[in-house]
Amino acid sequence: MVGPLWFVGFDSLMELAAFLIALAIAYQALKGYRLTKQRTLLYVHFSFVLLSAGLLVDSFAGFLGILARAFRVTVALTLVGYSIYFLAQLLAYGLLIYAYVSQTRSLSMTPVPLLLAPLFSSVTLQAAPGPLIRLLGPLVEYHPIPEIVLLFLIFYIAVQTGLNYSDTKDRNAFLVFLAFLFLALSHLFFILEPVRPLLFVIGHVLQLSGFLSLLMMLLRVTSTK
Amino acid sequence: MMQKTPKYRSQMRIYVDIMRVIQREYNQAKPTRILYGANLSHDRLLKYLEELKTLGVIEEIIDGDDRFYKLTQKGIEFLNEFRGIERFAGAFGFVI
Repeated sequence: MVGPLWFVGFDSLMELAAFLIALAIAYQALKGYRLTKQRTLLYVHFSFVLLSAGLLVDSFAGFLGILARAFRVTVALTLVGYSIYFLAQLLAYGLLIYAYVSQTRSLSMTPVPLLLAPLFSSVTLQAAPGPLIRLLGPLVEYHPIPEIVLLFLIFYIAVQTGLNYSDTKDRNAFLVFLAFLFLALSHLFFILEPVRPLLFVIGHVLQLSGFLSLLMMLLRVTSTK
Repeated sequence: MMQKTPKYRSQMRIYVDIMRVIQREYNQAKPTRILYGANLSHDRLLKYLEELKTLGVIEEIIDGDDRFYKLTQKGIEFLNEFRGIERFAGAFGFVI
């Protein structure tokens, strides 16, 4: 990815912080699964393990990219790092969506319109403005399509967590909703990044804010007796 | 609107419901109290109480003709741990 020169390295540092938070969430979910044997918690665990692994790889690729002398090596490293990160996010969000859908099936009522969201995302992707994407393509080191895919997936999760908050009015639920909203917005800013390099910075700040919101929730649920 | 009520309670949920009734009763509950509080039939209640005793999270106290159930230290710790996990899962919108 590209951004302002002064920001080089900060993105990797932010991802490293996000990695630690994702790992803590994964650990708590695993603890929950061991205690309750609830499958949805296992999906949350694997989802955040994947997210943390992707963040770590992308972060290290960024650091190594800075250290690498030859420009071609730098590009290859960041591209490999981003590709792994993208796949990890794709699987992680997919797992979370599967957890929501599988729980919805076992509940007494089914929010049918929400189940159509993944279908909606794939249809919208097929109808994505090709010329615009091609126009933006050469300006960025990665294709914006992966970010659009991730945006739709995380948008679905944000809607689910938003519904949960509107249902429960619980502060922890609000923090999780806020987290996924920030993460969704971060993907939006990464898509728009070629318009203005500063959007890349805002995207990373939003991404970290999302994980910090999850950390706040985690601290609240583990500390409250 | 999504209704967050599973059709059936999981075994874990029933265990927790029983233990919470005992906790609510100042850690000393009679079977009848638990029966109504946890919304169980008599046969199922006896089965679950036996299982919880085997797990070491509750203990049975017989005082003359009266029979009480108390949470053990392990049971109290389990409930505290469960509360955190329940909050965590609930924050994501998952029902345990």
